[in-house]
Amino acid sequence: MRRLLQPHVELAVSLAAVVVLPIVLPSIAMATEVVIFIIATLGCNLLIGYVGLMSFGQAIFFGVGAYACSLTLLHSHVGIGAGLLAAIAASAIVALFVGFLSTQKRGIYFVMLTFAFSQMFYFIAYAMAGLTGGDNGLLDIPRPPLVLFHVTLLSLTPPLEMYGLAAVVFVALFVFLQRVITSPFGSTLQAIRENEQRAIAVGYNTRNFKVIAFVLSGVVTGIAGALYALFLQFAPLGNIDVSMSERIIVMSILGGTGSLFGSVLGGTFYVVAGNMLSAIWPRWLLLLGLILMVVGCYLQGGLLGAAERLARRIGRRGPRAMTPAASNKPVGRP
Amino acid sequence: MTLSRRSFVKTAIGGAALAATGPAILRPAFAADVTKIRSLYALSGTFAEAGKTAELGARIAAPQFAKEYGIKVDYKAVDSEGNPGRAVAKILTEIQQNQVKYFVGGVLSSSALAMSEQVHKANGVFITAAGADEITGQNCNRSTFRWSVPTYGASRETVLPLIEKYPNAKRWYTITPKYVFGEALLQNSIDVFKEKGVEHVGNSYHSLSETEFSSYLTNASAAKPDVLLLLNFGSQSTNTLRQAANFGMKQKMKILMVWAEGLEQYEEIGADIMDGVYVGCQYDVSIKSPGNKKIIETFKAKGAPVPSYSSVSGYVSTDLILRGIKAAGSSDPAAVIKALEGLKYEGPTGQEEIRAFDHQCVKNYYLLKGKPKAQMKNKYDLVEIISSGKSFVPQNQSLCKMA
Repeated sequence: MRRLLQPHVELAVSLAAVVVLPIVLPSIAMATEVVIFIIATLGCNLLIGYVGLMSFGQAIFFGVGAYACSLTLLHSHVGIGAGLLAAIAASAIVALFVGFLSTQKRGIYFVMLTFAFSQMFYFIAYAMAGLTGGDNGLLDIPRPPLVLFHVTLLSLTPPLEMYGLAAVVFVALFVFLQRVITSPFGSTLQAIRENEQRAIAVGYNTRNFKVIAFVLSGVVTGIAGALYALFLQFAPLGNIDVSMSERIIVMSILGGTGSLFGSVLGGTFYVVAGNMLSAIWPRWLLLLGLILMVVGCYLQGGLLGAAERLARRIGRRGPRAMTPAASNKPVGRP
Repeated sequence: MTLSRRSFVKTAIGGAALAATGPAILRPAFAADVTKIRSLYALSGTFAEAGKTAELGARIAAPQFAKEYGIKVDYKAVDSEGNPGRAVAKILTEIQQNQVKYFVGGVLSSSALAMSEQVHKANGVFITAAGADEITGQNCNRSTFRWSVPTYGASRETVLPLIEKYPNAKRWYTITPKYVFGEALLQNSIDVFKEKGVEHVGNSYHSLSETEFSSYLTNASAAKPDVLLLLNFGSQSTNTLRQAANFGMKQKMKILMVWAEGLEQYEEIGADIMDGVYVGCQYDVSIKSPGNKKIIETFKAKGAPVPSYSSVSGYVSTDLILRGIKAAGSSDPAAVIKALEGLKYEGPTGQEEIRAFDHQCVKNYYLLKGKPKAQMKNKYDLVEIISSGKSFVPQNQSLCKMA
């Protein structure tokens, strides 16, 4: 199915969402959490939606990013930028390792390998309690101001400034991933997703492409982990637990894969619904299960797919809503 | 899709309207003179059993003491999901969304430590019943108070009397959850072993997500201990004890569960397995005190289950917040903190007092023993009190340096 939202429209709507979220949501804290999980979902979406790789290893990168940033800030008097750079470097190295070994296999074996790595890294973090705090996590993580060339850009003390940092990072990553997806590299990833044998026949070393995609996904997810640690000023062991991978995958599928804007919808829906429903009913995950069943059976494009179907139905009624020429444009091409 | 100018204008107007009205829709308005209290217990997840019961206690206490002390209270339960990260995110949301300053909760020590820090940063008040020494020790802060006896007292009031009761039981084996609470219980127990010349023949660590304990119990059996000391909590200690009973370990050694959840846990374990097992607990319904009598009557009047440690901890924690507000004559957290420091009151375990220097409540801890089925007077009469006492780190040894 052709995408209705073109990249520049997706970006505009995502920008609008970033502006509107802290206003419409009950708290800036919730808005910050939403944006952080949208970033994590973007990383996952790159793998599921554009390469067709279902990875249970996302929690590894989320946790590693959180630990790397936290440890840097706890043990050295460097700025927040150094913390984020440490998260990027650590998650890239780990993603390279996990991606290199996992992409040796395909299908169910790939999934099982990522699952096994996830468990392995969880127990490494658990066992290295002296470094990671084990089950207690890392407490009291400093959140120094964001300083550039001796100019304090954000103090990060008021909640809105922490949100601002997360929002700026989100927009930067969104633009970056759009560039990646619409580049020849991105087109190759989508070719691998559609028919890997054909991509190999054409002459692509598909494994290298998959490993690079893994590293990009790991870095994006690692940045989300670092922001989460900065936001909470706490890095719990749960960050690196396989349940975190499940959460991120569920957000990706709920929102809709194959479109970055789907991640915005999925991350927002999951976090907001989770916060609100859990206040009403502790067994709210049952409802989420039902929603996932509906998505799996009837709405395979996720929330974005559902919105697109609705828009198409409305579009058919009015000739001005969508021109045939626009609807037939190839995917990802402006 | 091309977006027509008209559609764009419509969307923009719609978005602006949503932005303008959204906060009004999603943010509930509250009267300014209402004291907002939030309980943060695990209502879902591995430790939901203890969390739900504790929340019940808080839910009973809030309207009762609000009426008794003449305070308007807005009480709401928030599910911490047994996940420290989620608990902290939800505290931040409550602080920003509803300007909440008063919190009770924290079943797990790791959650309680993280929650304590967040509430302290917001200059609020947090009352917990979590066990790790650090909460009123090296990680203490002005905002945090603890009703329950920490691991130091729990170890001393259970391990010590049992060593004295069975002087020939010289070999002890421990099973410990590897996090702040378990580590603290283990260290305190080892200190008692050293003091009394008892041999610690081995320890098995397990994670907080563990549900299967047979391999640890096999190791314990192989060490041939006289006493098996369970330092885990909640469903984990229930499962360990059940599996130990299945392995026939009850017949070969004494079993002591240092930190029991109380009545609902004894019921879950069952009278057959509980028979002869020693447990340590913060509270028991059979305590003879005016405070406990009042609690039993209140729970009965509300149609709630017989009070247990979990429900009483939620109940007393909420009472302490409102008692502090009443004593301070103000809902300003700084004044309430001052009023709570040194407060003496009639609690469920008798006279209880909050130490000013570390915000630790001084109260009894109990060693209990599972009754044989034939001696049970009713289905709640599962244990008998063997001993009780107050053991707390003295001020000159405390690691608490209140900022």
